[in-house]
Amino acid sequence: MDFNGSSSEGSRQVRVRFLTKMPPPLRAPTSAIAVPSNLTRMGLSEIVNLLLKNGNDDYQHQPFDFLVDGELIRMPLDQFLLAKGISAEKVLEIEYIKVVAPGKQQDPLMHDEWVSAVDGSNPSFILTGCYDGSARLWKGGESCSHVLGGHNGAITSVNIIKWIHGENNFHLATGSKDRTLRLWMLNAVEPGNYPVEVRAYKILKGHNSSVQSISAAPSGDMLCSGSWDCSIKLWDVKKQPDTEDDSVSVKKRKVGSNTAHGEEPQFEAEAASTLVGHTQCVSSVVWPEADTIYSASWDHSIRQWDVETGKDPWNMVCEKVLNCLDVGGENSALVAAGGSDPILRIWDPRKPGTLAPVFQFASHSSWITACKWHPRSWFHLLSASYDGKVMLWDLRTAWPLAIIDSHKDKVLCTDWWKDDSVISGGADSKLCISSGVSIP
Amino acid sequence: MARTKKSDRTKREILDEQSAENSSLPESGNQDENFGRSDALEPAHDEQESSGKEDDEERHHAAEESDSSEDEVAPRNTIGDVPLEWYKEEEHIGYDISGKKIKKQTRKDRIDSFLAGADDSKSWRKIFDEYNDEEVELTKEEIGIIRRILKGKTPNTEVDPYADYVDWFVWEDKGHPLSNAPEPKRRFIPSKWEHKKVLRYVRAIRKGWIKFDKPEEEPPFRLLWDDDSNLEDSRRHGLSYIPAPKPKLPGHEESYNPSVEYIPTQEEINSYQLMYEEDRPKFIPRRFESLRSVPAYESALKEGFDRCLDLYLCPRTRKKRLNIDPEALKPKLPSRKDLRPYPTTCYLEYRGHIGPVQSISIETSGQWIASGSTDGAVRIWEIETGRCLKVWDVGEAVQHVAWNPLPELPILAISLGQDVLLLNTGLGNDEEQLKVKELLNVAEPVITDDASDSTPTVSWIPYTKYDGIRLKHFKAVSTIEWHRKGDYFTTVVPSGDSRAVLLHQLSKKSTHNPFKKLHGLPVSAVFHPTRSIFFVATKKHVRVYDLVKTKLIKKLEAGVREISSISIHPGGDNVIVGSKEGKMCWFDMDLSSQPYKMLKIHPKDITNVAFHRSYPLFASCSDDCTAYVFHGMVYSDLNQNPLVVPLEILRGHTSSNGRGVLDCKFHPRQPWLFTAGADSVIKLYCH
Repeated sequence: MDFNGSSSEGSRQVRVRFLTKMPPPLRAPTSAIAVPSNLTRMGLSEIVNLLLKNGNDDYQHQPFDFLVDGELIRMPLDQFLLAKGISAEKVLEIEYIKVVAPGKQQDPLMHDEWVSAVDGSNPSFILTGCYDGSARLWKGGESCSHVLGGHNGAITSVNIIKWIHGENNFHLATGSKDRTLRLWMLNAVEPGNYPVEVRAYKILKGHNSSVQSISAAPSGDMLCSGSWDCSIKLWDVKKQPDTEDDSVSVKKRKVGSNTAHGEEPQFEAEAASTLVGHTQCVSSVVWPEADTIYSASWDHSIRQWDVETGKDPWNMVCEKVLNCLDVGGENSALVAAGGSDPILRIWDPRKPGTLAPVFQFASHSSWITACKWHPRSWFHLLSASYDGKVMLWDLRTAWPLAIIDSHKDKVLCTDWWKDDSVISGGADSKLCISSGVSIP
Repeated sequence: MARTKKSDRTKREILDEQSAENSSLPESGNQDENFGRSDALEPAHDEQESSGKEDDEERHHAAEESDSSEDEVAPRNTIGDVPLEWYKEEEHIGYDISGKKIKKQTRKDRIDSFLAGADDSKSWRKIFDEYNDEEVELTKEEIGIIRRILKGKTPNTEVDPYADYVDWFVWEDKGHPLSNAPEPKRRFIPSKWEHKKVLRYVRAIRKGWIKFDKPEEEPPFRLLWDDDSNLEDSRRHGLSYIPAPKPKLPGHEESYNPSVEYIPTQEEINSYQLMYEEDRPKFIPRRFESLRSVPAYESALKEGFDRCLDLYLCPRTRKKRLNIDPEALKPKLPSRKDLRPYPTTCYLEYRGHIGPVQSISIETSGQWIASGSTDGAVRIWEIETGRCLKVWDVGEAVQHVAWNPLPELPILAISLGQDVLLLNTGLGNDEEQLKVKELLNVAEPVITDDASDSTPTVSWIPYTKYDGIRLKHFKAVSTIEWHRKGDYFTTVVPSGDSRAVLLHQLSKKSTHNPFKKLHGLPVSAVFHPTRSIFFVATKKHVRVYDLVKTKLIKKLEAGVREISSISIHPGGDNVIVGSKEGKMCWFDMDLSSQPYKMLKIHPKDITNVAFHRSYPLFASCSDDCTAYVFHGMVYSDLNQNPLVVPLEILRGHTSSNGRGVLDCKFHPRQPWLFTAGADSVIKLYCH
């Protein structure tokens, strides 16, 4: 091969074989070749690109990442082999994958106040919550199409419960520091150049203190919320004005848009049940499966609740105050949480008898405010911190894959959008969108 | 024959030379005949017989000198056992022992070599050594060896493989080496002769002919310079004798002609004059040409007299030296790691104030923090995010802020100038808001009238700018402290003389003045966390009052110049007091009225001290821009003293106008410390 000659005489060589699971145009010949052992990820990427170029003339140069024994290479190859105790004598099998990194930054979406919550679960809209008490729906991540006003306090959490009656009817929920949750119903295909103002159709009251986090059940029938009053409340959001709900919501919206502050009859509702057990602020709740809720609290514990019985069968105490929680990863079973220190920790509740985190990522320099698993990938997750950075992590390496440093101030929330974009909102009143994160 | 004497030459070299000679010299027909004849391989001795020639003898000698092929000297080429193809392309075949390249010889082509072989009758004995790139002519002996090996005989003629066996062992009739005779009786009975000998000794000892103890000899000499202490006189009469200290022996500098380095320079002699009489060296070395010119020692008489006085008068005592490791005297403190959690790192800053932040207070649930600054603003912040929720512009430098300890009464008390404001923060749910509004409603101004003074002590007036009550005092108010039940609070008016410490009741909008006679200037006043006990810190003392019996229980003597702050342990039996000279005193009220521990830590004034509500932590902050965090464990066992361990120095604030950190408070539920600085920043230190 070409590289044998070019390598300097002093360096040792390692025989490697490049493998991939990607489709044929990106498949390099699998014969073993000798490469200098002091190559870094860049050098390996160059080699693979050259190999691919030799096989295919109209091939576009692109960077790759390399896996050895399920671990990403982040240092020179010889150091890596030394650190992992892998023999350099036999042929090393290196799997290459596409690099996961944000491609470009889109123009930030400006808000009036701090952006405290974001939901990117719908590929065509982004829902953001803001400290001025209104939530906004951004069509295609470009223009604000709906403004959901009405909260008296800062919005802390937003959630798209589900779309009903086709693609474009949204059922949304917001939680706020004014101790209430509001439910919204709106139709997204409303033409118009200006943002449409929407009023909530239902106000959920019952918390005695700020609502910190809300999460909808996978079915979309129930909603749970964690609050500063140490409780988690479950709300039934299925009971709507059944038959005419579509027309009612449309009418309501029209009324709302015409007379912006016109008082209209709004329904109020009480909580279906309350989960009591935490002793301090419940800072984050997640409802990943139909009958389990995970919650993180300032009392340093993460609990797993059984919705049917209201008991917490799994209760894990760490040392720090926890601010955020997400469940995902391998079989949607890993719990990632961050809190009042710069370390993002990941636990595996399936491992019995141990409270030690399985992964710890410590590249941030301040409190972690949000963490989010990629909806499909087992390895990728996001974390946002008060140091103004959003980091993209891969479980297979201890270094962040990418650091998105577009915020000037604290980052308060982050989420995935359309599977390939990272959206984050912060105390600089911006919603930043980094697109082009191609996750296989 | 001189060549053969050079024993360091290798056999191969010699052979080379010989072969070269052979090839260059015109060869005699005799030799040709000899070798042309021997086509077939013949026995070695035949060959030896036929080679009567001189060069053959030479060869024989050479072979003898390098006696065996095993200790042959290394070959000319030093490349080692490597494939020779590697040098096929090269111009050299390898390297000699000094590292120089060995050039390849020009190779004859086949026909030439064949012709040479046909001409040369010895060519059948020549073989080509590829390794050293040369032709080797085998000697007769070597050919003989090859022949013998081919026949399967031993290579060397001298070796006789079938020599006669010499039987070294003697087989003549030898008897059995051990005797079979039985043991004689004498070996089992005591010896008669020994018995007699012992009897003789016994008799000799009894009659005194044999003496065991030799009289000890008195040593004829004794050590002149030995320590007197082990003389027999010293041990007489059981007295402990203390020898007089020995005078110093003369050294080189006291020689009449000491070396130059002992002679002080004139400057040094001058500097002696500036020293004290006692420190001055007694003897200044001088040089003399000869011993004759040395004058009489001037102070000989005086020194002799002093020495006598010293020996005669000086009372001497034995000093008992204690051998104590200074490390062992240090108190054994537990490791800081075991005392976690405690605040260590600053992660959050609350920025927004313009002037120095004078006071901070944290809401009981731990969600909000209020701060008052000298710029006349009171701010409420969200602890989690550092967002400023509310700003009240009260228009005057704020001295102190304090949240109502009840979580359902989100009322903030603020002291500024002569006023105390009770403001509704607007937090809490609707019912709580109703209750707060009802509490903070003053229909008509309530004026406490003591009838003793023209100015009323306190008047309760509705505060119109913001939702709340204004308590107008007769003089400037410094601190406010709430009772744990959230109804009573106390204000301190430092220059108020007989009305310095006031108790207010919020629900009845009334004011009392229970401490008419107070000695000293009051600094701060706090309620006991569980019982109806009241602490008033004046500049020198801390007075402890029982509120039910209304009498003085205890007076704690801090022994510091000026007390600046006080904090009560949540258990209620321990008090820390910070002083303006940077000292902090820990009082154990059950122990005594003196401080249990005095910690001198800060180089400047301590501005505040604080206990944590649930963790065993306390902190002090000072104008030197630092805050110290301590572990302060109080045990329920009364016999065990409180454990105080310094944990961490928190830095980060910058000095402004000579002030540093102005206030520090712990988070009510987390091991976090808030510090308010004169640099108008509030910092949160987390664990």
